[in-house]
Amino acid sequence: MVRGVQMDGDTIDGRLVDAEAGLIDRRIFSDQDIFEQEAKQVFGKSWLFVGHESQIPNNGDYFTSQAGRDAVVVTRDSDGEVRVMLNMCTHRGMPVCRYDKGNAKRFTCPYHGWTFSNNGDLSGLPLSTDGYGGQLDRKKWGLIQARVTLYHGSIWATFDAAVPPFEETLGDMAVMLRDFMQGPDGEDDGLEVIDGILKFEIHSNWKFGAENNAGDLYHDVSHNSVQRVGLALSGLRGRHVWNADKHSFKILNVAYPAGGHAARVNLYDDEQREYHPQWAVVPEVDEYFRAAHYARQDRLGEKARLLNRGGIVFPNIAYNSAGRWQITMWVPRAPNRTEVWKWYFVPKKAPQKVKDTLRHYLLRYGGPSGMVEQDDIENWASAQVGAECAAANRLPMNYTLHMGQAQWAWPVPWFGEGAYVDEGVSEHAQRVFYARWAEMMGHPAIEQGQEAGR
Amino acid sequence: MIATGDRSHQTTLPAPSLKERVEDFLALEGELLDERRFDEWLELFADDARYWMPLARNIEHDNLAAEYTREQQDAAWFDEDKKTLLQRVMQLKGGDHWAEEPFSRTTHITANIRIESASETELTVKSRFIVYVNRREGEVRLFVGKRIDVLRPDGEGFLIAKRSIFLDQSKLLFKNLTTFF
Repeated sequence: MVRGVQMDGDTIDGRLVDAEAGLIDRRIFSDQDIFEQEAKQVFGKSWLFVGHESQIPNNGDYFTSQAGRDAVVVTRDSDGEVRVMLNMCTHRGMPVCRYDKGNAKRFTCPYHGWTFSNNGDLSGLPLSTDGYGGQLDRKKWGLIQARVTLYHGSIWATFDAAVPPFEETLGDMAVMLRDFMQGPDGEDDGLEVIDGILKFEIHSNWKFGAENNAGDLYHDVSHNSVQRVGLALSGLRGRHVWNADKHSFKILNVAYPAGGHAARVNLYDDEQREYHPQWAVVPEVDEYFRAAHYARQDRLGEKARLLNRGGIVFPNIAYNSAGRWQITMWVPRAPNRTEVWKWYFVPKKAPQKVKDTLRHYLLRYGGPSGMVEQDDIENWASAQVGAECAAANRLPMNYTLHMGQAQWAWPVPWFGEGAYVDEGVSEHAQRVFYARWAEMMGHPAIEQGQEAGR
Repeated sequence: MIATGDRSHQTTLPAPSLKERVEDFLALEGELLDERRFDEWLELFADDARYWMPLARNIEHDNLAAEYTREQQDAAWFDEDKKTLLQRVMQLKGGDHWAEEPFSRTTHITANIRIESASETELTVKSRFIVYVNRREGEVRLFVGKRIDVLRPDGEGFLIAKRSIFLDQSKLLFKNLTTFF
């Protein structure tokens, strides 16, 4: 049990996470017992992203995905309802679907032929009469169904009956997640998935990727090489198109301690801003973004001050926005092994030329072939080496950067009362992430501390 | 040994066949990558070249057209032109691309080379590859798959007009694709 795996040194008290001191026991990245408890306490009691509705436009469409360590099949059933079900035959536990995507009315288990409709009902049972005497309760033995929430196109699921509704666990992070799912013109539900989910495996604990996306603005040195070469299509060096926007802004780490979520944002000083070409290399694309920029200002008003760069929906879903629309999911396989899934998005109403240009930019940005994320992946796998270092196991990981300066519901009220915000380069969002993690693991961080929840 | 250079000793040998010239070209190309001569490797590509590695998926037997993501439409591991290949080379060479600093050791093996069609201006060549990567101490990546190259005759040699790379993995089993194929 986790309570038995405590720091026995004098560098930090017995807790695994001391968010107030900014110190974390490195064994949370390497210990098998903690890993097993995490599956139950963190992943088992959280809403988890499994995919996007644009992947299953037609009745009968399906794809396979992961809810934490558990494989799921996501269908749009014959009545059009989105279902998330364990990809597991209720008889002997085989996956009933062995394809990444497709269209099917039913799934037949290859082992004994139990057959399930695309709504999960047990519709076919060999030897139903001769073997089961017509007595097997088919309603009881359908595929195990998750609770499902659709949120502006994204699909979320949990198998726990007691977890509060999705919107409740999301809290004021809804401001950020909703913004991410909007098109560049600020219209809700504005994105569609580019067909093809990237899946790759890294030898790293899943939390290294999660904490990095929660708000690590400290690691720019890692990306020197892509900054030097240039990747953005603004015509400027660097990887981010928004660098071309010369208006003044604050860099903010907007954390939501109640749920453990966080976003990295720029908040511009002015609501009405002239468009500065961010896609100047491709004039046709730049025209689209110019029009979208002004449409968004008209639509969102004051909230158009927000440039939502990216963030994390606790525990394992990261999004990147602002021209780099993608969702990254960490599937924990072992303390030191993580499967990473990546969905790329484009604005669904954009002209094909814009979609094509964005697709090329995205493919060069993220994942194992991305000129940016290659170096992130290298970091996460290399940090794992230190997490497993026996001689250093009494040395906590240091998360003390820019401590004690965060403010609630600041600097704009529409971030929400649950927003706990720190400006600049800070490990604030990571402290919040780990405080929530510790809370779910039954190790509340220091109750009175300003870094803990309210 | 690099296949360019003094060929005077070959004057008594019969002229190489088209297939031998293609094999020699593909071997040279692998050598340039393995010797980290990325600029020279890049010179083997036509200015309008395309370099594409789709994602593979697990798909029903009667839907094989969907096994690989579609070119110029879907996600891919690589979807490059010569300009973006140059960017990748520039990133590799700077000493600050930590995913390839220090450089991995690589060996490119190209086999089962077959000229599928040939005209005055263009050849379509199918092959299989094994790319072995050893990074730092213990990290090993093994990539096996199929290639279809469109080559253009260029003087004594060829230029690669298009390379399609079909990796035999749906989930990438290794953390990074910092190697050219």
